[in-house]
Amino acid sequence: MAILLVTVFGKSLSAKSAANDNRIPIVFWHEMGGPSEDALEQVVDGFNKSQTKYKVIPKYQGTYDEAIQKILQTHGTSTSPAVFQAFDISTAQMIHSGYTTPVQNFIDQDNYDVSKISSVARAFYSNGGKQQAMPFNTSQPVLYYNASLLKKYGITPPPVSPSYSDITRVAKQLYEKSDHKVKGMTVQVYGWFLEQALANAGAQLANNNDGHTGNPTEVKINNPDTVEFLNWIKENIKSDDFIDYGSGASAGANQTAGFLSDKVGIFIQSSASIGQLTKNNTNKLGITYFPHPDNKKANGVAIGGAALWISNDKPKDVQRGAFEFIKYSLKPEVQAQWQKSTGYLALNKDSQKTKILKDLYAKNPESKVPGEQLAKAKPNYSNSGILMEGMQLTRQLEEVAMETVYNGGDINHALDTADKAINDNLHQSNRANGYK
Amino acid sequence: MLKTSTTNVVPEKKVEAKQRQGFRLNANDKYYASIFLGPSLLVLTLFVFYPMLKTLYISLFLTNTLGNTTVFTGLDNYVKLISSPDFLSSMSVTLLYVVAVTVLTVSVGLLLANLASQKLPGIGIFRTLYSVTMGVSVAVAAIFWLFIFNPSTGFFALMSGWLNLPVVNWLTSPTNAMWAVIITTVWMNLGFTFLILLGAIQSVPSTLYEAADVEGASSRYQFFKITIPMISPTLFFVSTITIIGAFKSFGLIDLITKGGPTNATNMLVYRIYKDAFYSGNYAKSSTEAIILTVIIAFFTLIQFKFLEKKVNY
Repeated sequence: MAILLVTVFGKSLSAKSAANDNRIPIVFWHEMGGPSEDALEQVVDGFNKSQTKYKVIPKYQGTYDEAIQKILQTHGTSTSPAVFQAFDISTAQMIHSGYTTPVQNFIDQDNYDVSKISSVARAFYSNGGKQQAMPFNTSQPVLYYNASLLKKYGITPPPVSPSYSDITRVAKQLYEKSDHKVKGMTVQVYGWFLEQALANAGAQLANNNDGHTGNPTEVKINNPDTVEFLNWIKENIKSDDFIDYGSGASAGANQTAGFLSDKVGIFIQSSASIGQLTKNNTNKLGITYFPHPDNKKANGVAIGGAALWISNDKPKDVQRGAFEFIKYSLKPEVQAQWQKSTGYLALNKDSQKTKILKDLYAKNPESKVPGEQLAKAKPNYSNSGILMEGMQLTRQLEEVAMETVYNGGDINHALDTADKAINDNLHQSNRANGYK
Repeated sequence: MLKTSTTNVVPEKKVEAKQRQGFRLNANDKYYASIFLGPSLLVLTLFVFYPMLKTLYISLFLTNTLGNTTVFTGLDNYVKLISSPDFLSSMSVTLLYVVAVTVLTVSVGLLLANLASQKLPGIGIFRTLYSVTMGVSVAVAAIFWLFIFNPSTGFFALMSGWLNLPVVNWLTSPTNAMWAVIITTVWMNLGFTFLILLGAIQSVPSTLYEAADVEGASSRYQFFKITIPMISPTLFFVSTITIIGAFKSFGLIDLITKGGPTNATNMLVYRIYKDAFYSGNYAKSSTEAIILTVIIAFFTLIQFKFLEKKVNY
């Protein structure tokens, strides 16, 4: 009965779109909500206006996490998308599913010049020398600080690429000089940040070079670089200049509210938050690179965000249309406008020359920082993401470890517990999937 | 009003059931029975029995990335889960939550209902106020309480700022987060519980109280010896509904804590959802679903075996 309903419904939908015009419909699933959804629809509109052959139909699918299961479970039915947006940590899952056509096939057919597209972003979504998906919305974790508050209390701002102790110094000074009215800093309980701290220290979380040279069989988070990162946070918790906003979606909103209302001076967040932080902020916003360990040079962080994938259950011409849309979405002007309206980074190097971005940088010079951080990083195995299945669960377990430490727990014990749980899950998943 | 309908229906059904046992079905009856029962059986099979059996089936395997069953492991999933401290803590957290929510909802609801049943001028305003949370959706309630709990700008944080008290980390400390979720759930439940209990209290015959007044019984004595026994079927109904509702609690947890911090509010139902639709581990979540089914069945059985006998219909 359910199958019947789906087919009937699916049929009526496609019949309707065919009645409007004779273009080939390209169903596009995405997970951009709020202001980003409006910006995405502009991209789609722009593509549809430029086309006589294809028509992209965008459909919002909720959160990144939930969309993955929808994509996998609808594959091969008439409801499945022709092109879809899947987030960074689902890359291994998508490659292994065998449900997608690598974009490399189309790149080769068209002799499309990918050298214009950010290499760190491309490296994240490639495997075995093949581009599997095309990065679309890409962000970098950066450190934000309240420049006006630092000025008010006469504190020297942190350098462009700060070390952990640079940040500790500023946080402590801010807390003391504001007479304990402003907390110095916070780091949200978010597995992404822990992974980035490792990437920036040049360390790897999973064996086989974070999965880039083979399917991972062993994970070790309990390494000196994680310990140093957590020790840095713990030190600030002890001196009371740290405020904990917890984990989850509400934590992000709470810490943004705290930052905008002068309750906390420094926090780490995605560069995609710039729009929100400049729009309603009466203070001057400061941005630096993601902090690095004291005695190490910054290795550069991996990107966050999502990529566009092409499903292989659709006819050739539909897949071709999907790639035409991907190419359009990477045009310099499209990426520039995308960065301006969302805070995600323009991936096309030529976008920097457009008037849109030049105007933006003239108005908000600090919005240049994340792009510079991205351009500076040289892709290597540590900062090209972790190509491992079960990353969603891994992140949850990393967050439990972080929360344990934030609440006073022992760092080594918390990390060992996480390692055990992550490895149990990894071994079981490898066994279920028949990987060696 | 609701009280009478729930109390009367149950015994009637029992009587019918007893009579039915005496019948022998002839061929004609079987024909009609299949016509009348067929459609509902078909729907039930498709949407209830088939998914149930499939869940049981999946729980005996490992599932791969695509959600397909691959390696048969027998009861291995169950053994692993029951011996995992993570899952056991989820179970105890769920039990704590269910007990706390039920006890608080029913007792506070009863208190408010008893207060609001007094015949005083302007009491209608309070009756409306107390039942107002019935009209509040889970999403609105969650956001409303998130604003209150915000450690920088929330109502509680501002209050403790004025009183020079340290700020309580409502959502980041494991114990407090549990209470934050309990408080929010109880607040959500109160409107409905209050309304049902108020209806029950008001339908207690006033002659009983008048007779007690003549005897000189105190109002406390009247409450425990007249009100409570007379509304006991409704209390039973309300607590059953609350227990089942608390076990199924999902929306508030998803919106307020997402199961955190350190899994302190990761109840069974939320866990099942996360394991299936976040992690894509269908085998694990099916196993958890079966365990939850067994637990709820057990509680329902206990309730009907023991509590029902004590209820005064």
